[in-house]
Amino acid sequence: MIGQERCEAVLSQTLNQPNIKEADAYLSVQDLNVTRFASNNIHQNVSHSNAQLHIRVVVGKRQGRATTNDLSDGGIQKAAKLAHQNALLMPEDPDFNGLPSPDAPPQVSTHDLDTASYNPDSRAQVVASVCGIAADGGLAASGFFRNGTQESSVMSTKGAKAYHAGTFAGLLVMAISDTSAGWSKGGSWRVEDIDSDALAAEAVDKALRGQNPQLVEPGEYTVVLDPYAVDDMLSSLSLYGMGALAVQEGRSWMNGLIGEQAMSPLISIWDDGADMEGWPVPFDAEGVPRQRTQLIQDGVVLEPVHNSYTAGKDGKLSTGHQYGFTGPPVASNLFMRSGDSALEKMIASTQRGLYITRFHYTRLVHNRNCVMTGMTRDGTFLIEDGQISHPVKDLRFTQSYVEALADVEAVGSQSKLMLNEVRFATKVPALKIGRFNFTGVTV
Amino acid sequence: MDDLVSRALDLAEVQGAGYADIRIVRTTQERISVRSGVVDTLSSDESLGFGVRVLVNGCWGFASSHDITSKEIDRVTALAVNIAKASSALSKGAVNLGPPVTSRGTYTTPIEEDPFTISTDHKLALLMDADQRMASVKGVRSRQGNMVFIKEEKTFANSEGAYVEQTVYEAGGGISANAVGNNEIQRRSYPQSMGRQQGCAGWEYITAMDLPGNAERVATEAVALLTADPCPSNIVTDIIIGSAQLALQIHESCGHAIELDRVLGAEAAYAGTSFLTTDKLNNFRYASDVVNITADSLRVPGLGSFGWDDEGVPSQSTPIVTNGDFVGYLMSRETASGLGLASNGCVRAASWNRIPMIRMTNVSIEPGTWKLDDLIADTDDGIFLEMNRSWSIDDRRYNFQFGTEVGYEIKKGKLGRLLRNTTYTGITPEFWNSCDAVCDADHWTMWGTPNCGKGQPGQIGHTGHGAAPARFRNVRVGVL
Repeated sequence: MIGQERCEAVLSQTLNQPNIKEADAYLSVQDLNVTRFASNNIHQNVSHSNAQLHIRVVVGKRQGRATTNDLSDGGIQKAAKLAHQNALLMPEDPDFNGLPSPDAPPQVSTHDLDTASYNPDSRAQVVASVCGIAADGGLAASGFFRNGTQESSVMSTKGAKAYHAGTFAGLLVMAISDTSAGWSKGGSWRVEDIDSDALAAEAVDKALRGQNPQLVEPGEYTVVLDPYAVDDMLSSLSLYGMGALAVQEGRSWMNGLIGEQAMSPLISIWDDGADMEGWPVPFDAEGVPRQRTQLIQDGVVLEPVHNSYTAGKDGKLSTGHQYGFTGPPVASNLFMRSGDSALEKMIASTQRGLYITRFHYTRLVHNRNCVMTGMTRDGTFLIEDGQISHPVKDLRFTQSYVEALADVEAVGSQSKLMLNEVRFATKVPALKIGRFNFTGVTV
Repeated sequence: MDDLVSRALDLAEVQGAGYADIRIVRTTQERISVRSGVVDTLSSDESLGFGVRVLVNGCWGFASSHDITSKEIDRVTALAVNIAKASSALSKGAVNLGPPVTSRGTYTTPIEEDPFTISTDHKLALLMDADQRMASVKGVRSRQGNMVFIKEEKTFANSEGAYVEQTVYEAGGGISANAVGNNEIQRRSYPQSMGRQQGCAGWEYITAMDLPGNAERVATEAVALLTADPCPSNIVTDIIIGSAQLALQIHESCGHAIELDRVLGAEAAYAGTSFLTTDKLNNFRYASDVVNITADSLRVPGLGSFGWDDEGVPSQSTPIVTNGDFVGYLMSRETASGLGLASNGCVRAASWNRIPMIRMTNVSIEPGTWKLDDLIADTDDGIFLEMNRSWSIDDRRYNFQFGTEVGYEIKKGKLGRLLRNTTYTGITPEFWNSCDAVCDADHWTMWGTPNCGKGQPGQIGHTGHGAAPARFRNVRVGVL
């Protein structure tokens, strides 16, 4: 971490380079520590720090870019010069309306000193405790414990000025027997929020209950999904169509559904970059404050998220969702409204179905309605007559996530924060879905 | 640079490391992207940093920094040692690297034209030409074209006496067209999907692609797919998989499955393990007799080509599947020694700030004997599938499902109607044992996968896969 003063000094110096009249600069500084374990053994243990300065120089309707991690005078000068040269080499883009002139973003404080200073010995102690719980159950644990800091700062010649420093911590546990596995994950900007023993116990419980799984035939099943599986659904819906670029190009699942009751009225989804319940960064890579954006309201598909470029094309204002230095707008601090149903009640109300911990290796099969394929993993159980009857071998699904969310019968009352990548998080409940299509099974 | 290298290695030893290595890496990158007639990105990127890896009491520690100064070398080396000591709280402390590695030398990717010397105007003109040709086709909704050029300058040294310096070039490019209509969205790509084809090569690699020359065809095919017949649903038939798609099939169902660290559980919590457990080495029919798969780091322009891996082990070739029998893994020093073998040089880190780990090099199916026309003529009833559109595989590399951009029905030895939304699925060893024909060297291409994900924290690796079209019998098709 280099601190706000140093970040702003670097950005200021960048914008004051020779020949630069219009530009913005985005500085990302990350310290990341990961203690990784497998088979109850720490096998990889790493720490890194990096600072990436991204510069966009504007000349008329042309934008040139450069990136460097050399923050010396010479490094900044070189990168700014390259960005300027690139701008001069570009043809004009008639749809580019210049840099945004954003308001100041809200101040959001998510920097925790204890989390930032969590050292290798502390991480090893957490991991040792987790592995001890697994070993007590006769199981092998794999996973990681990570912590770190992320500084983001933006400045522009159009008045953008924003700085945020946040900490992050996360624990992932997989408990493994000869015939089964269980999985759990926790994350927060405060390490104190992570109950490592509880997460270990959760994974161990699933693994023990999942031993000697039986084969069930593929087909349509009612499913009760842990928040881990719902996280995948929401992340995929974001990745494959909640951004305006995909909508404008006609390849989003939102196309043809905006304004339509495409999902169950039980489903409401929004993105809020300033909400402390997620992992907030209150502004985007252009310095635009991230607006709370309602994406789905009571099952009705509303609007996608924008950066300044896509907003300009639609005659709108940016919602502040330019996620990276380049690339499309992305909804990345997502929330799904919780309901009033306990997980146990969802299971008890299911005649025949599957209780699923999480999805694995999910990929888009078709853009329309976001048809996805993937596997169940790390705790999949058959429900019969309202009870878990036995564990099952993992199944492959091929299912439209949009159509699945149209068939939601119950929403969990407890939501869980999933810190996936740094700066991408969801907070989601469990769901019961009436029909989910499984097309294969593993050996 | 030598002073800093020596400083790190000496300090690590003084602080108790039994082994240490350091990589100092400068990566220069140029990215150009055109989107529907507009230059979307023109960026020059540079990243410089170093990473120190140590073994203390048989436990690993790794730390890295972008600040290359003596003071930072000291801090990072000490941190790596501290991390290794912390690891010993929960470690068997049993890392054995096998015989010492003392390689010395230099390597540079053999290229004809340095892509960084080609003017940006020229690169832009080529992409805009391709874009305009795609735009001329009625019904295309959006177009993309891009190029990427990378130069990685890396110094590796270890406490055993190895010191190697490498300059690895990469060049990549591609175009795609999206068509929307008839309640459909269809895409066609060239030369490879998922953005581009990429290789360890220079500018000559891009000119050979002839992006403008293929642009109109790509756009025309995307539009044609909108009204093509859908893939037959849930049938079992014979398929011929095209070279580009087969490369990804190899990547997912073989390449990852043979990473020995994955086999031993190192990736269990992320992408999973592998069904190719060590008892199967030299004792398992992975595929039919006609299938031979090799892993090598020698065959440019494969993205897995280099002089030495990130443990200083020289590039080499390893048989993986010989006439269908499973005979080899991708290994590191540590994992190889566990099998009583020596590393075959498959360790790379995606960046200076990532720990080196086993990555695919160029994992390729060797050419067979068939001409593609003859193979099609020999197929009574089937589907020809090409160019990946979606991919997914389970956590032990058994159950897979792929979608391709395009399919063509084969009836009585002739290519017939165009098919859209083609998908196929299978179980890896059953699938590869159903392979009964592989096309010859005339149809063999070395493909690049510049987006392979592995590890926590994540690393995006670049891998190569040579493939020729091949036929597989009795495969389930039409899952969508």
